[in-house]
Amino acid sequence: MKLEISENKLSSPQVKWFDSFTKMMLTVMITILIFIFISGKYMDSHKMEAGGTDDAVNDLASVVTQVEHHPFIDLPGDAQVGAFSVANFFAGLVVGHHWEKLFGEKKKKEDDVEDVEA
Amino acid sequence: MHIEDGILSPQAWASWYAASAVFIVPGIRQIQKRVEENPYYKPFLAMVGVGVFITSCMHLPVPVTGSCSHPCGTPLAAIVVGPFATAVISAIVLFFQAIFLGHGGITTIGANTFSMGIVGGISGYLCWKILRKFNSPLWLAAGLAGFVGDLATYLASAFELALSLHGHVPLVKQWIIFFMGYGPTQLPIAVAEAVFTAAVLQAMVSRRPDLLPGILSGKDRKKEAVKHEIRD
Repeated sequence: MKLEISENKLSSPQVKWFDSFTKMMLTVMITILIFIFISGKYMDSHKMEAGGTDDAVNDLASVVTQVEHHPFIDLPGDAQVGAFSVANFFAGLVVGHHWEKLFGEKKKKEDDVEDVEA
Repeated sequence: MHIEDGILSPQAWASWYAASAVFIVPGIRQIQKRVEENPYYKPFLAMVGVGVFITSCMHLPVPVTGSCSHPCGTPLAAIVVGPFATAVISAIVLFFQAIFLGHGGITTIGANTFSMGIVGGISGYLCWKILRKFNSPLWLAAGLAGFVGDLATYLASAFELALSLHGHVPLVKQWIIFFMGYGPTQLPIAVAEAVFTAAVLQAMVSRRPDLLPGILSGKDRKKEAVKHEIRD
């Protein structure tokens, strides 16, 4: 994957970074984050636990089995946020890399045309 | 649907491993065959696998019920790479989620694969196929596949728990009890999964219909080809 660089009339290189794909992805991300933020604030103000349903049902099952359930590894405190961030960052890179290779070619051509026209 | 270690008995989790293997083994063969036929299939499969990994550990809050849950991503995977390959992807995804993220157990990978990768994938795929057979629009078929696949995953998970733990309680009653633990939160998440499935599939088809054989009917393929020619 290479950066798209166009040259304007003054021949200074310009990197087209804020393209339509980036705008779309940022819009979707911000919309989801706003939803999570508002939902979180609502649940916090109403003293809701906001725990996962997986945990709730696993707890329910433990009542029947009388045995403690446990994930294979239980990450303490912020380590969980760290693990999720690392996993999702690199997963995002892999998806982005392959998406661009498989589904981004047409778009790239269109952007190149826009650059030439500009 | 991430059942943890210590809940299912050894007989139960071993049986779910065996049941999942029935779908995973042909899935591996199918992947090997399609990799030889299509050079794009491997990166495509990798992308879909990572997509399922992210989607199925992305907890979204549902303020109505005061809890969080996650979509599955397997209905979309089943539509684009096939239901058997989705079973293989899910087993890999659940393994990494268990060993690195504390999401689900190791002994329960078979049970979790069965609910998310097999029941979720196949139910979504069947829903998609049936609706497309009746000329349903792509977004509607994909959206309903996402919705049905998501809920079916949690129904299967609740069934797995109920089957093992119902004791003297009638199986159906215990099944409903476990499903009610998931259901109210999962319903809005299933709607979100429907929107996600429809949007991603529509984006894929509009960019590269050639990469998705079997997704479009002959008539649709011609339409997309014309669109592409106009765009180019």
